[in-house]
Amino acid sequence: MSIEVDPKRARPLPFVVAWIVMLVLWGVSLWTAFLGLGLWAPIIQFGIAAIQVTTVFILFMRLKGPASLKSLFAVSGFFWLLFLYGLSMIDYSNRKGWPPVAPVSSSQQVHPPGS
Amino acid sequence: MPDSVIPAPEIQYANLAQQGETAELGIWAFLINETVFFGALIFTYYFYRLSYPDEFAAAAKDAVLWAGSVNLVILVTSSLTMVLAINAAAQGARKEMIRWLVVTVALGVAFAIVKGVEYYLDFQDQVVPAVNFVAKPGQGSVGELFWVFYWVATGLHAIHLITGIGLVLYMLLWPIRRGEITPAYYTPLEVVGIYWSFVDVVWLFLYPCIYLVGRS
Repeated sequence: MSIEVDPKRARPLPFVVAWIVMLVLWGVSLWTAFLGLGLWAPIIQFGIAAIQVTTVFILFMRLKGPASLKSLFAVSGFFWLLFLYGLSMIDYSNRKGWPPVAPVSSSQQVHPPGS
Repeated sequence: MPDSVIPAPEIQYANLAQQGETAELGIWAFLINETVFFGALIFTYYFYRLSYPDEFAAAAKDAVLWAGSVNLVILVTSSLTMVLAINAAAQGARKEMIRWLVVTVALGVAFAIVKGVEYYLDFQDQVVPAVNFVAKPGQGSVGELFWVFYWVATGLHAIHLITGIGLVLYMLLWPIRRGEITPAYYTPLEVVGIYWSFVDVVWLFLYPCIYLVGRS
């Protein structure tokens, strides 16, 4: 019997390249944490995380290829998150007194261990 | 090594391709739940970070950066080794498949060990809310919120990782040992691989939330 090899599984090179790219992106993300970029730091870091996650979804979790029902499932997960974040932020951002003031100033209360 | 068997599809499926597609849809439906589960958790983080940015930055400085970074590299690498194992399964390279799966389990265990060391250092640093917590300068009582998130998020992630290790071990000790994973049908391994990569995805988002805040 001849073994029919799935062509998408035949070559490891794209996965190795994706792994290297993800590690390089991690290095960039770590580097930006020490640059004092202010508000831009989390934007860049979460942007890099989004690129890494997309790479994992498309290549490692095998969403690459013709559109299928599993792609629809994966995209629906993203939209559920969008609803969750969107509706929650609309709620909180319209509340009076948000964002709140920190309840304790930086002079600090200090809890003893075990309290 | 047992002889490879060509499995017959379960009675409700016309063929193995249909059975495999259904199994993949099943894991994706499960992952939608997981996405919303971790998504809600990360939303609470965003919400409190937007509410108390300075206090969160001060609290996050105590997170053990080297441990989080080493674990990120470990998990990303384990996603690669898992996909190489599935590659080998598709090509009928049984020994190679087993080798990559053993490496994947080893990397998963390495993650858990580093996490254990990190938890020990956290305890020494007195950042365990309700058990052993001392608020540091600049944090206020809000700093405790960050650490509650840290323990809940990393704890839940660790449970998922340990589940993943168990699933890979099960694949090695049961279907693979019985010769049920063949080039004709390796979907069970593929489903475990998708779950494993999702655990990686969660860590890729938790990493900037926990370890990169307030470093500059």
